[in-house]
This record gives sequence, structure tokens and C-alpha cells, in this order.
Amino acid sequence: MGDFWGFGIIWVVLSVIADWIASIVGRHFYVFTASVQAQEGQAAASFLLMTVVPIFVFVVMMLFYALFRFRRRKGDTGSSTSQVKFNKAYVGLWVTLSLVVNLFLFVHPTASAMQVYWQEGQAYNKSSNELIVDVTAQQWGWSFSYPQYGIQESVDSNGNDVLYLPVDRPVKFVLNSYGDGDGLSEQIDVIHSFWIPAFGMKTDVIPGETRYEYITPTVISDTQQNGMMRVQCAEVCGPGHPYMESNLHVVSQSNFASWVQQQLKLQSGS
Amino acid sequence: MSVTPGNSPLQATGELPVVPRRRMSPPMKGVIWAAIGFLLLNSIVSGIDPDVLHSYVNQVSVVFGWMGAMVGWLFGVGGWDALVKPAFGFPLKWKETVGWRRYFEYSTDHKVIGIQYMVSSGLGFLIAGIAAMMMRLQLMSDHMWLFQYSKGYLTTVGVHGTIMMFSVGTVFMVGGLGNYLIPMMVGSNSSAFSRLSGISVWMVPAGIMTVAFSPLLGDWTTGWRGYQPLASQDGDGIIFYYLGVFILLLSSLIVALNLVATIVFKRAPGLTWNRLPMYAWGMLAVSFLNIIWIPEIMMTFILALLAKIVPLPLFTAVGSPMVYLQMFWLFGHPEVYIVVVPALALWMEILPVLSKKTLFARQWGVIGLVFVMLLSGMVWAHHLFPTQGNSTILPISFFTEMISIPTGFAFMVAIGTIWKSKFTLNTPSLLVLMSMFNFLIGGLTGVFLADPMVNMQLHDTFFVVGHFHYTIIGGMVFSSFAAMYYYLPKFSGRTFNDKWGQFGAYWIFIAFNATFFQFFIVGLRGMNRWVPVYPHYLMWQNFEISICAFLLGFGFLYNIGYIIWAWVKGPAAEENPWKAKTLEWYAPSPAVGTNFETEPQVVNGFYDYSDGAGEAVVFQS
Repeated sequence: MGDFWGFGIIWVVLSVIADWIASIVGRHFYVFTASVQAQEGQAAASFLLMTVVPIFVFVVMMLFYALFRFRRRKGDTGSSTSQVKFNKAYVGLWVTLSLVVNLFLFVHPTASAMQVYWQEGQAYNKSSNELIVDVTAQQWGWSFSYPQYGIQESVDSNGNDVLYLPVDRPVKFVLNSYGDGDGLSEQIDVIHSFWIPAFGMKTDVIPGETRYEYITPTVISDTQQNGMMRVQCAEVCGPGHPYMESNLHVVSQSNFASWVQQQLKLQSGS
Repeated sequence: MSVTPGNSPLQATGELPVVPRRRMSPPMKGVIWAAIGFLLLNSIVSGIDPDVLHSYVNQVSVVFGWMGAMVGWLFGVGGWDALVKPAFGFPLKWKETVGWRRYFEYSTDHKVIGIQYMVSSGLGFLIAGIAAMMMRLQLMSDHMWLFQYSKGYLTTVGVHGTIMMFSVGTVFMVGGLGNYLIPMMVGSNSSAFSRLSGISVWMVPAGIMTVAFSPLLGDWTTGWRGYQPLASQDGDGIIFYYLGVFILLLSSLIVALNLVATIVFKRAPGLTWNRLPMYAWGMLAVSFLNIIWIPEIMMTFILALLAKIVPLPLFTAVGSPMVYLQMFWLFGHPEVYIVVVPALALWMEILPVLSKKTLFARQWGVIGLVFVMLLSGMVWAHHLFPTQGNSTILPISFFTEMISIPTGFAFMVAIGTIWKSKFTLNTPSLLVLMSMFNFLIGGLTGVFLADPMVNMQLHDTFFVVGHFHYTIIGGMVFSSFAAMYYYLPKFSGRTFNDKWGQFGAYWIFIAFNATFFQFFIVGLRGMNRWVPVYPHYLMWQNFEISICAFLLGFGFLYNIGYIIWAWVKGPAAEENPWKAKTLEWYAPSPAVGTNFETEPQVVNGFYDYSDGAGEAVVFQS
């Protein structure tokens, strides 16, 4: 029984220490979060990390026990003294615990986080404050239009497509592939993936289908300040895939309003 | 004379049969026949093609030309003399030679075939490894420098992934170790379909070469998955991707049929299902997965090939791009268990022997392997969480999380066996522990990926790349090296110096973890996949990941080189150096010629190390 209690005590102590470290490191799992949804994902990831760390410690400790505690001494050629073929308690506990942990993780955070995300989408759709951005993916670039404001394609001063979002306002991205509904263009476009690393969410854009993504940005920042604030295609889409990115600016509500005016002015050609 | 399967005319000792006359080396003949086959069919198809603007080698003609080449190759290398002509009643004139030559020709000896599979697979590992090194070289900088265009880089990614998955991951431990070991493990002198098996092995080098030379037809950018509709508009190199994978899969399908038939019908008397060795259980589970899913993906690849060369709009917006993706991953996820289940089985095979302790909870180990096999067909769509509709996310996520339970049984059995044992620490056992450590990280990072909300962030980033390299290199490749060291005395009658073996093991372990653990971090920092260029803030970390990757590459070279050296020049080994009880150790070492002169009879389980356990095998005289 000595090994049993020794192992158990070391495991508990190490797990507590490792979980304490995980609770600190886990807060930075997403590195940089700039949306409500990224924070939710961050919370789920950090919960998962805390859950799996004791399992990790258990197995790795056992590997070290094999290396040191149970290692065959020099000159010893006999069989092991213990020849246990089965242990009801150990197997029963292992099977039950792995079942319980997995079922538990399925309820929380798997199902719970998805539920929250889907409910946010429904709430945003009911809100009058929701900003709708039509996103069109094509080989190899993104274009953004703002139907509520009449902006057909937002561009920066160099003429590149750019995504501007106001902080703390729910956004619905309507994701389409270029050329939809055009009978001549069935071969034109391929699958892309709309990803803003700092927003913690990605949604694929499938030719012939419309997809939605719901985000509330929480941090004022832009691509220049933080590389994770960028629109990036995450699904390989041909030779131009590495270059399929756009700049992103999350700005204050008032700056957004003036940006909208500027875009409209640009659009009218004045 | 006739070649009786497994009872091949060559003997371990004594006079060697004389080769009657010099004949052209079979692979050379195969290459010539392949060239003739290609020219013939390509010319015919090219000639009758009504499109006047087509080139001599075009999309359609190259497919038929390739088929001609494949038939020519397989016939030339021995299929014509040893399979086709005898099938039509002609006398069999094929004679198996001896020495190193027998590895370069058609053979019905499962041990020769096993080594042919392993060497072909090792060739694939080297080619795909060089591709990986080129990728890491490019990624040392955030702008193009090694490759001129990104499509060159993306083709390299595709060649790397395709060859690694279909000629290494799927082949080494199944076609290679499985063919070599399984007939011996079940106490048979041959595999069930030894002639078919003798020809299927030659599909592997042909498949590897087809994929490796795919850039000749044009760059293709899809990676190993060939996603539609991108594949349909991609360069013509994708045609060789479909054809190469097709022939590699056909080879693995034949291996699966052969292994299942061997395990079911060729067991020695007394070798009941309750006594069947763990590695044989692993091979059985894997072979069922292969038999179920390989035909599915072969059909999908035929559809994709037709979509490319006819062309058909099956997978464009007019059809449905999602169909290909679903079809691919329906096979694609069982595929990763095809890769990993042999590794789990090998842990349970080696650990009781090297810790001289009875295998713990054997039946749960078997249950684990079987349930992994069953569940693996129900988790595919977690590869599509950001891609498919919301309604399928939760059920698929559920099964994905549940599959960790039977996978965990392998750990439960391994740990229960190690506990309070007298653990012999040597190169193979160290590599098994390392494989368990790596696969544990691969499995636990899988928990994050199985969670859809977290998956939406991690999908298509280097986090995923890190995860599956931990399971495949960390789990399967490390276990393969463990098996190579463990079975070296069986293969060659020679052994290795444990110090140099352990040195190699620590080398790849440290370099592997230094490389791939950082994949998780760089992925979380926003590094996405399939990009030769990336934002500047990720450059420093990518630079030093590449340095670690080169160390890993050299580590693999060291280990392969050392194993080859020990195989040829190492100190002589004992007959049964690990004092194992399984049947393969009752066959002569090195295992040449007949496995068992007299039929073995199994009277006990193989993994009982308690004092009064007695021998597992008796030989009737």
C-alpha cells in the first residue's frame, strides 16, 4: 500500500500546483481577446485546461514511476513480484471517471458554450442595434458592405478592402461566396474561412450557401497595433491563400459614424 | 516446381538453391514495362481524343497512361510470371532467389514482404521528411525566399501530407510490421493470401513515386485532403495525387484482407480469441477499419478524378462542395485511428514483456481497441465544425469526446502493467514511454479541439497541426521506432548497443517536443495553416521552430542509420533476448525460411509472467 498512498499524495499535491499554474496560464490561452465571443471561448478553454491537467499529471507521474520507482535493478533477472491481472476498484474507477468527466465536459463547456453563442445570435437578430456587414469571399480577397448605411464596398485610402467595426455593438456577418446565383460562375469560387484571430471565431464560406457569424467587439484596436486583429482566410483556397487578408479597425462609436460619412462621400465620387 | 505459400524453397541454412540463369532484375523489368504501358495507353487515348488542341500528354490520356504504367510495373516486377500466367494454367517458372536479391523481387514469404513494405514506407518517410524540411526552411522567413511562388510551397505541403499519411502512417505498422509479424504471431508459416500480398507491396513504391512526381504535371494547392471545389480548378498535379493515393490505398486494402484472413483462419491449435496476442488484436481492428473505409475513399477519389478530367460539376456550387468534404472525412477520421491503433496495440505487446509482469486487464485493452474502431466512424464531422451547419455540431462533438474513453483504456492497461513491475529500461521500453507521453499530449489537446466553441478559434491553425503531429509522430512513429529496436534481433539476428539506442531516443524526444509543442503556442498566437508567408510578428518563433525541426530531422536520420548499422553489423543477439512468450519468438532469429518446422500448439496465454505460469506454447514432435 506504500506505493499507492505515496503516489496518491504526490499526485494530489502536484495536481494542485499544476492547476494553480494552469489557472494563471489559462487566462492567456487565447493570447489576445477582443470580442465577447473570444472571452467565452477563452473561459471554456481555461476550464478544459484545468480539467485535463490532473489527468496529465497522473499519467506522466506514472511514466516517471516506471523510469525510477519500478525500474529493474542491476542484476535482478526475475519476474515481477506483483502479478496482478485485474483490479476491480482501479478499472471500475477509471471507466466511471472517464465516462463522468467526458459527459460533464460535453454538458459544460461544450453544449453550454455553443448554447450561449447561438442565443447571442438570436438576441442580436432581435436587437435594433445590430450592425449587419455583408462579407464576400473570393479568390483572393475579402470585400465588405454595410447595407444599413448604403456602403457598397468599404475601402481604405489606398483602395484596399477594409473592415471597420464600432466597439461594443453586436455585429452580424453575412458570409457569401462571390458569384452566388450567377449561373455562369459555378466553377469560379472555392471554400474560404472567415477568421479574425482576436475575435476567437471562424466560419467557413461555402459557394452556394450563406453563413452567419455573430460578434461583439470589445477592444479598440487595429491590425497595425496587433497582428491578431486581422481578417484572415483560414481555409486553403489556392495559390493566393496566404495573401487573402484584410485590415481590421475596431473604433469608437463616434469614430465609426464619421468613418461611415467618409465612405459615403468616397462612394459618391466627390 | 510450385511455390507453396509460406513454405518457400529457401532454407535458413544449408545449400542455397542456384539461380538457373541470369535474368533481368525484376524492378528494372517493371520500370521498362511501365514505360511501355504508359506510352501505349497514353498514345492511344491521345490519338483518339477529338480535341485537336490537346497536348500529347493531357488530363485524360495521363490517367490511362498511368494505368498502363501501373499494370506494366506490377506485371514486370513479377505479377506476370508468378500470378497471371499460372492463373491461366501455364506452369509456374518463377523461382525465388536468396540473399539480398529476394527483397528486390516478387516473393510469397510474408517476412520478405513485410520488410519490403517497411523499406518502401521508410522511403516514403524520407521523401516526405525532406518535403517537411523544405517547408520549415521557407517558414524561417515571413516572405517568399526558398520557393518562388506560394503554389510551390503548397504543393510541397500536399506531397508531404499525402506521402506521410498513405505510405507511412497507414503502411509501416500494418503492411510492414503486420505482414512480418502476424503469421508468426498466430503460429502459421504463411499469410492467407501470400501471392496477392506479394504483388500488393509493389504498389507502395509506385504510389509514392506517383505522388512525389505529381509536380511534373503542375502544382496543386489543396494539401493532403484535396478539398473541392478547389481541387477541380487546381493544377493537373492533383491527378497524380488521386492516382497515387488510389494505388497506395489498394495496397493497404489487400493488406487488410490478408491480415484478417490470416488471423481468422491461420491460427495455430489452441490459439483462441482469448489468447490472441495484443498486436494481432490491433491488426484485426485496423484491418476492419481499412476494409470498411478504404473502398469509400477510393470511390470518392474516382468521383473527384472524374470531376477534374471530364469535368463534372459534382462538387461546385451547382452540385455541393460539402459532399466531398463529408466523404473525405468519413474516411479521414477512421484513418487517424488506422494510424494510431497499431501503436496502442504495440504498447500492450511490449510492456508486459519488458516489465516481466502479466498484462493487466487484458480484456479491457481489447475492448478499447474494438470500441475505438467502432466509434471512429462517428466523429468525422469535427473536422468540419466551422464548415457545416450548426445542427450537427453537438452530436459529433459528443462522440468525439466519448472516443477518448476507449482510447484511454490503452493507457489504463499500460499503467496497470507498469505498476509495481520490474521495468526493464532499455531503448524499446523507453520509446514506448515516450510514445505514451506524446500521445497523451496529442489526446488531451484533442479535448480542446473537440469543444466546438474553442475549435472555432483553433481550427485551421498550427494548434491543429501540432495536435495531429503529436498523435501521429509522437504516437505512431515513436512506437514504430520502439518496434524496430524491439524486433531487431528477430529481423537480423543482431542487436544494438543500448546506450546509442537511448541516445537516439532522447534526441528525437527532445527535438520533437521542442518543435511541436511550440506549434500549439504559435497557433494560438494566430498562425494559420497552408501559408508560406505570414504576419511579421510570428517570424521569430517560426524561425526557432524551424531550427528545432531540423534537429528532429537529423534525429530521425540518426536513428534510421543506427538501426541499419545494427541490422548489418551489430553484435549477435540471443534467440529470445527479451524472454518474450509470444509465438514469433519461437521462430528462428533471424527469421529466414520456414517459421515453424513443427506445428506449435498454444496451451496458455502469452502474457502471464507469474511463477507457475508455464510455457505458452508446446511443439508436438
